[in-house]
Amino acid sequence: MRTPARSDLFSHYSLDGFYDEMFAAPGDPRPHYRKLHSRLETMDSLTLAEKQTLADQAFLRRGVTFTVYEQGEGTERIFPFDSLPRIIPAEEWARLETGLAQRMEALNLFLADIYGEQRIVKEGVVPAEVIRTSKHFRPEMMGVKLPRGLHVHINGCDLIRDGEGNYRVLEDNLRCPSGVSYVLENRQTLKRVFPNLIRDYNVRSIEQYCQDLLNTLLHLAPEHVPEPTVVLLTPGIYNSAYFEHVFLARQMGIEIVQGSDLTVRDDRVFMRTTRGLAQVHVIYRRIDDDFLDPEVFRKDSLLGVPGLFEACRKGNAALCNPIGTGVADDKAVYAYVPAIIKFYLDQEPLISNVETYLSSEPKQMALIMERLPELVVKSVNEAGGYGMLVGPHAAKAEIEVFREKIKANPRNFIAQPTIQLSRCPTVCGDRIEGRHVDFRPYVLNGESVRIMPGGLTRVALRKGSLVVNSSQGGGSKDTWVLGKTTADSESISENRIIL
Amino acid sequence: MLSRVADHIYWLARYLERADYTARVLDVNSQMVLDMSGYLEADAAEAWLPIIEVSGGRESFLRIYKDVNESNSTQFMLFDSDNPDSIRQSIASARENARAVRDQISSEMWEQINRFHLRLKGDTYESFLRIGPSEYLNRVKSSIHLFYGIADSMMPRSQGWEFFNLGRFLERANNLSRLIDVKCISLLPAGKPEGSAVDLIQWAALLRSCWAFEAFRKNRQGRITGKRVLDYLILDEFFPKSIRFSVTEAESALRQISDSHDHHFKDPAGRALGRLRAELDYAEINDLIETDIHAFLLRLQSDIANISSLIDHTFISYPVEEARMA
Repeated sequence: MRTPARSDLFSHYSLDGFYDEMFAAPGDPRPHYRKLHSRLETMDSLTLAEKQTLADQAFLRRGVTFTVYEQGEGTERIFPFDSLPRIIPAEEWARLETGLAQRMEALNLFLADIYGEQRIVKEGVVPAEVIRTSKHFRPEMMGVKLPRGLHVHINGCDLIRDGEGNYRVLEDNLRCPSGVSYVLENRQTLKRVFPNLIRDYNVRSIEQYCQDLLNTLLHLAPEHVPEPTVVLLTPGIYNSAYFEHVFLARQMGIEIVQGSDLTVRDDRVFMRTTRGLAQVHVIYRRIDDDFLDPEVFRKDSLLGVPGLFEACRKGNAALCNPIGTGVADDKAVYAYVPAIIKFYLDQEPLISNVETYLSSEPKQMALIMERLPELVVKSVNEAGGYGMLVGPHAAKAEIEVFREKIKANPRNFIAQPTIQLSRCPTVCGDRIEGRHVDFRPYVLNGESVRIMPGGLTRVALRKGSLVVNSSQGGGSKDTWVLGKTTADSESISENRIIL
Repeated sequence: MLSRVADHIYWLARYLERADYTARVLDVNSQMVLDMSGYLEADAAEAWLPIIEVSGGRESFLRIYKDVNESNSTQFMLFDSDNPDSIRQSIASARENARAVRDQISSEMWEQINRFHLRLKGDTYESFLRIGPSEYLNRVKSSIHLFYGIADSMMPRSQGWEFFNLGRFLERANNLSRLIDVKCISLLPAGKPEGSAVDLIQWAALLRSCWAFEAFRKNRQGRITGKRVLDYLILDEFFPKSIRFSVTEAESALRQISDSHDHHFKDPAGRALGRLRAELDYAEINDLIETDIHAFLLRLQSDIANISSLIDHTFISYPVEEARMA
């Protein structure tokens, strides 16, 4: 009999001073990682490679892809997947959950207020200027009544962990956050790769998400409609997230429509079917505000539906998320979220922001100018790492260029200290190394706030890289939220289905 | 069912059927030139022009290639990206339509068409020669038939299925009439004595191109003559690759779609298709040959084009102002 040799998968593992998800100190795994660690300790690099291949093949076969555009031609790529899970213990998750729910509640009240009385502006907590100049503020939404008084239904909230391991909100995504299909596919895959470990670990099931999302959408339908029709509005098959749109529509059993499938008549929305026009009540839109309705927003939009805004304003159809939610995930507004939570809920934020300086505030501007070489500067309206300065990695000339840009348009920039994302063990060739990760849980706001126990852990696969975006060498991991008791575990919920 | 979804399924079926037909025509022609070696060089333009005529067209061919010969014709019909009717392009179009309705078709259907598309994309004329024309085209046809098999066993018998059949059979009727037409031009008025050896080879090739050789022999025991072959391919009631059969199937699919259970179609598409079917039901082959079979086949093609646009107007891109409530 071969005695399992102590594996050398971790032989090159070093912590490099970062907060590590698995190790409290070199060779000393945190309690909730011990089972995974000892499993990996007895595993040779061949078995690990087999596990990774098994996972890759599953993705390839199911066509879990996103589209990358190069020279005008779209190529479908597999989203890289790392087979080592990130694990979140029950108590840690419970704290996150309350913090995320608190944030959702406050942001919903904030949006209701901004498009209503603007009490928070009148009382001087958020400057009027910040709201007025926000690219995603929609004055057309002022005074519009929304179904059930809900002003935002989904937040894909990006979290990171700082050097001490504290979770912090990096940004909110209150428009069309994507990625949840990968979360669900990742779990399907890991169930095949580590079936025993998942059972031993008492991992909470995420199966419920699509049902919760559908319930959130149905909750928005006009109350007098007994069997409302819900659709998913996609920009079309060339959109990079088309796979996700198809996935969610199929899981929820709703139609996936394009703008050209919808038409508005007498302020009601219909879809064109082979038997005539059928009324649509709730639209889960995966198109930005700008493109939704050429009569109100961008006139050149071919993706949208003329008259859609009016139909929604009259309450004949509901959009998820509603129009104008982007004002609350503006990076300058983000800096005020702790104050927003305090203002509406009279509570301290349970999950902190990353420290943020606004160049529109004179005092903070001075500080930014003084410390520019050590700060990260972000443009408030850009996403995906564009329009950004990483001070410590930038050349002197580049820093000076940004200095002028900031002075010329202070409202357009924020600055943050360089943050170090935590690291998580990741398969790198034939061994395991630490790679930086972030985390996006999905928060639903319907009859109540519901949060899927899990989320998208993105990992920067390139050594030393902090960029987790899929277009720039990022991948993803399954995220295991552990149950307190066996009652809410993955294995038990599966048994229920069998029974 | 969403109009756009119906449209994609309809065109998915049409492109698949088109690829199947092109593969068949190419295969039969490659074999026919071997049988004709006493009369015709295998590489002669006359041996290949007719099939270019029925797939892609002479004009677009001559825009790309100088000489009509075996290798140019084969590349044009199999792989050419400038020929929208080439097998590779037809399958790429079928796959694009399938991709647009991925949530509506089963994963097995999607995976089959996707796999096939990716393989064709990677193939070259060299790989075609290496595998051999007959074997290669057989694989193409098998891949398409596998898709039909999966569709048959997986698709719910609702509107999607009917649009699939509608596209498939209209495309088939159209292809058959083009093919028969080209063959009639080259065979009928030639003034050769009917029943010559060359004739026999060519009429047999036409039957084979329509998957009909064995069925014809079994069903119409007796000689292969032009008239008998045309009767079988245009007017046979039971043979799945006859024009009449295809039109009848298309009509029955359309009847399901528009809920017209008796012979009273309410929509213009149904009426046009019903008229065409009735005409084929009562046609007689001697009349067709004596009057003008070429004109008849041309009109049939324009009828089918007209029916296709009426279907589009009735179910797909109807004006919203005239639309009824579902």
